Formats: sequence, structure tokens, C-alpha cells
Amino acid sequence: MKKKRSHRRKNSSEVNLGFQIAPMIDVVFVILLYFMVMAGDLQVEKAHNLKLPGTVEPTDNPVNLPDEIAIRIEDDGQVFLNDDPLDTPELHLLPELASNLNQLRISSEASKATVLVTVYANELAKYQRVIEVLDALTRAQITNVTFQAGAPD
Amino acid sequence: MAGGGGGDGEPEFQIAPMIDVLLVLLVFFVMITSAEVLKVDKALTLPISPNSKDRPKDMAKHELAVNLRLDRGPNKALLVLDDKIYQNWNEVLPFLQDRKKADKLLRVVVRGDAELPAGEIQRIMNFIGQAGIDDISFAASNK
Repeated sequence: MKKKRSHRRKNSSEVNLGFQIAPMIDVVFVILLYFMVMAGDLQVEKAHNLKLPGTVEPTDNPVNLPDEIAIRIEDDGQVFLNDDPLDTPELHLLPELASNLNQLRISSEASKATVLVTVYANELAKYQRVIEVLDALTRAQITNVTFQAGAPD
Repeated sequence: MAGGGGGDGEPEFQIAPMIDVLLVLLVFFVMITSAEVLKVDKALTLPISPNSKDRPKDMAKHELAVNLRLDRGPNKALLVLDDKIYQNWNEVLPFLQDRKKADKLLRVVVRGDAELPAGEIQRIMNFIGQAGIDDISFAASNK
């Protein structure tokens, strides 16, 4: 009996079906590396929040009328700030608009007034352009924004 | 999984705790990758806005996504709500009103295609306003 057992052990060690740790670590490293690279290049969904007008609670305190600014977006993507054309339709970051809005906000804050921006987007203007204008408003730290489709009256 | 070791002898490399750490890291990266991918709808291309803000986690349960795909033929929006395409947008109104009644903090996330005409966004905003919902979010992609 003893002889038979030792013979079996010898056979199994020759075949070597044991668990190999080194290749497993290699595989885990490759998978880890893949997900680490993927995590850096992720497309994340973010948002611009706004409140629709007409639902503000009335207050007894007197309300200061804000400085109103109009931004118009034409069908071709040209942006106008109070009828002055700013940036070209090809510029996605709208640097002139953002810096002008930032200056307006700073001057309004100095005079203790709030800035209200109304965005007039033409019916056929691209939604991407509207979002780019909202992005410029976010950079200029302007939070009071209203929307209007069509040209200003 | 980790075995004992150390003692009075020299410190030696332990394979088992290293595997533990590796697996934890792997699970972490798998989780964050799949969690972010789930939020992106591949049927539409979101507009790009690098300065848009993260959606607050505490509002996630109050959010209702309204997808507006681009119908290139007539250059109009295709309204998709809960995987159902609405040809007549008036049918959405009672649904939105019911959702607002059920949840006072309801926030509608408008997920519009970047190529959509702005007039279509205004149209859905009118419906959302008629349903008595005042909290709107415009979804955008970071890159």
C-alpha cells in the first residue's frame, strides 16, 4: 500500500496542476492598468442648473431692479452682447464674451446691483452654441440667467 | 486571504496582502468606470461644456431625464422619456404633472443633442413649465 501511494504522489507532481500565482498577478496588473487608463479618459455627464421664472415667492422687502443684459445668438452661431458682435462663430470658448460679462459683473457688484442676463437664441441656432454661452456665463460667475427663444422685441 | 508572517526575523515580502491590495484597487477602478459610463446615453451626442457643474448626488433620486434626440430629416427633436418615444409631446404633460405631484423636489434633466435647434429646447421648456416644474438642468459633457 505504501508503495502505491508514493507512486501516485510522484505522478501528480510531475503533471504540476497547482495554482500559479505569478501569471495571476500579471493578469491582474494588466486589468488594473487598463481600468486606470480608462478612468482618466472618462466622459462624464455634467449639468447647468436653472430655475424657471414665475415661481419666485413674493417678499415684502423692496427689490432692487437688476442690470439687464441681452445676449443674442444668431442662426450661424454669431453671439451679440447688447447688439455688439463678440467672438467669431468658430470660437467655442467665447473668450471675449466671458471677459466682457466678467467686467460687467464686477462693475455691477461695485454698484451693489445684480446682473440679469437674458439669452435670446434664434429658433435655428444650435443647442451646442446655447450651452457654450451658458459655459461663458458660468466662467463669468453670473447666476441670474433667463431664456427666450426668438429675437428680442 | 493574507497569511501571517514577520516574527523576530527579517521583514520579508508577502504575496498574499499584495494580492489583496491589487484586487481592491481593481474593484475600485472597475466600479468608477462602469458607474460613469451608465450615465451617458449613446443615442445622442451631448453638447460639450468644460465648465458645467457636477450633478449633486443628493438630487439624483429627484431627477427625471428627458432625452431629446435629433431627427435629422425634419431637423426636429425626438422626445424620449423612460425609453418611450413620444410623437405627440402633449402626451408628456400629464406624466410630468403626475411626477411633480409625487415629488415636490423634482428636477428635470434635459439631455438634448448638440445639433438640435434651440427652438426645440424652448419647446420642451414650455412643457416643463406648464407641468409646474421650475427646476431644470441642461446636461452637458465635460469633453
